[in-house]
Amino acid sequence: MSISLPTYTRREMPLLGRRHRVRAIITTGLRREFKRPAVLVVIGIGVGVTIITSIVVVLFAGVFLQGQPLDLSFFFTPASNGAILFFVTLMASVVGSALIADDLQSMALTLYLSRPITEGDYLAAKAAILAPMISMIAVFPLVLTPLVAALLGSFSWTIALEAIGLSFLIGSLFTAFYTAATLALSSLTRRKSYAAAGVFALTFGLTIPAEILAGPPFNNPAVLYASPWENYLAVARAAFGATGAPIDWRWSLAILLAATAIAALATYLRMKFVEVVSG
Amino acid sequence: MLVETKNLTKVFGEVRAVDDLTVAIPEGAIGLVGPNGAGKTTFLRLLLSLLQPTAGTAKVLGRDILDGVPLRERIGYMPEHDCLIPDMTGVGLVAFMGRVSGLDADSAIGRAHDVLQFVGVEEERYRKVAEYSTGMKQKVKLAQSMVHDPQLYIFDEPTTGLDPRGRTEMLDLVRAIASSPGRNVILSSHLLPDVETICKYVVILDGGHQIAAGDLHDLLTGAADRLRIDIRGDHEAFAQRLRETGFEAEAGPTGVHVGRRPGVEAEVFQAARALGAEVRYMGREIRSLEEFFLELVARNEGKGA
Repeated sequence: MSISLPTYTRREMPLLGRRHRVRAIITTGLRREFKRPAVLVVIGIGVGVTIITSIVVVLFAGVFLQGQPLDLSFFFTPASNGAILFFVTLMASVVGSALIADDLQSMALTLYLSRPITEGDYLAAKAAILAPMISMIAVFPLVLTPLVAALLGSFSWTIALEAIGLSFLIGSLFTAFYTAATLALSSLTRRKSYAAAGVFALTFGLTIPAEILAGPPFNNPAVLYASPWENYLAVARAAFGATGAPIDWRWSLAILLAATAIAALATYLRMKFVEVVSG
Repeated sequence: MLVETKNLTKVFGEVRAVDDLTVAIPEGAIGLVGPNGAGKTTFLRLLLSLLQPTAGTAKVLGRDILDGVPLRERIGYMPEHDCLIPDMTGVGLVAFMGRVSGLDADSAIGRAHDVLQFVGVEEERYRKVAEYSTGMKQKVKLAQSMVHDPQLYIFDEPTTGLDPRGRTEMLDLVRAIASSPGRNVILSSHLLPDVETICKYVVILDGGHQIAAGDLHDLLTGAADRLRIDIRGDHEAFAQRLRETGFEAEAGPTGVHVGRRPGVEAEVFQAARALGAEVRYMGREIRSLEEFFLELVARNEGKGA
């Protein structure tokens, strides 16, 4: 091993702004994620299954959904696809749970926060890595379905474009909630497996008991407000004009937005007070 | 001035981690030493603008520490603990840290190769960090702190965990950086010989207070009118014997200190003969940093008791 002192010369280099620095974290983070086989498998299967099931619904609407009017409310059906919930949870667990927990575990957070960025920049970058991954399942298939439906001539372009816009909005709402909640859980632990378990617990630990308690013999639909998925369904149902909502979409929207904001704030505060220099 | 603080205070609950610290540190290579819990880490966090002071002000490189991001653009920090991203390659990690510091992609990769060559991680730069030895990880940590060419380097225990050869190499690198024009180093270390070989100025903290600060040579060299006598034997009895013969003498952890005046040398040898002690050193006080540090800490504990 040699130490090559003479080769090191001082050069003045202008530094680019914070936007560039955040972008560097995002691009490097996405590149690292796309090299992980587990991520590629979840993306492949998750996007594939949600898109295929949504398009099958469009193609065979007349067979499977007899009595379903072919208007805007039809698009609530692909939006309520249970595969979305499962694969969003899986994606959040596989990708999101490690995003901050791994930096805490390896103490790389010290490296990040001793650089000329803020805690907010760091979190924004981490969110920008996770959100596109989740949106591949929560937004992309929903947007693609009306587009395919219009291209096949099953729906008018007016309805399809409206459905695309609404799908984008409700898919983004769901993406924002899962991004914020997953990062909050990831920031609380050094072990990504704990954060992943937390994401599953958040999803199924709330949704399944809520659905049981809402049905007979308990008949208590108010507990559905505890489930992020049921809140999302209530908002989606209202957005597409579908009927039969067991809970008020306004409250559901407020709960999802508030939970997203609280999770984001909690993560920010956690980052603000986390020990970044030790020894 | 490299660092200027005025009544800088940081309180965590009831603990005053940094307590009313007023110090003016000149540019160059600075040693920051102190026992565990002395407030070194908190002081570093304040300098890096990762903590807000409870009271007081501080400037680093002429900038207020509250400036945060613009200040950190000019600082390279090498943490003590393992903090590298294990699944990245050495060159990838250093280039990435360069980009997060604001370098464009081309400059970052070019600089990453330069600094890895400088620190001696050339052959291994395409291997994953997880496969590196402790010495190589330390060098990559050093390289990432250099990649954006900062004006101030903060090295926290850079020789931790290194074997003697690795320690020598690391100290050579730190010395090379410290001796480069326009670069300043703050070296926080428990290994006082490391500080002594690299630094020109030292700040010694204990209990959140500054107990000494100044030019290292001046601090370690005693006043010309006092002698330090190192003997093998009972220091206190020796000092007592000198006092009985009319000399001002006191025993300390580094030897017996005597006021210099005509006849003192002869009296020292007479006292040694009388007590059966062996004189090993007699001359102007020249302490090692370790001796000076222990003396200060003992004095500080005496004040607190």
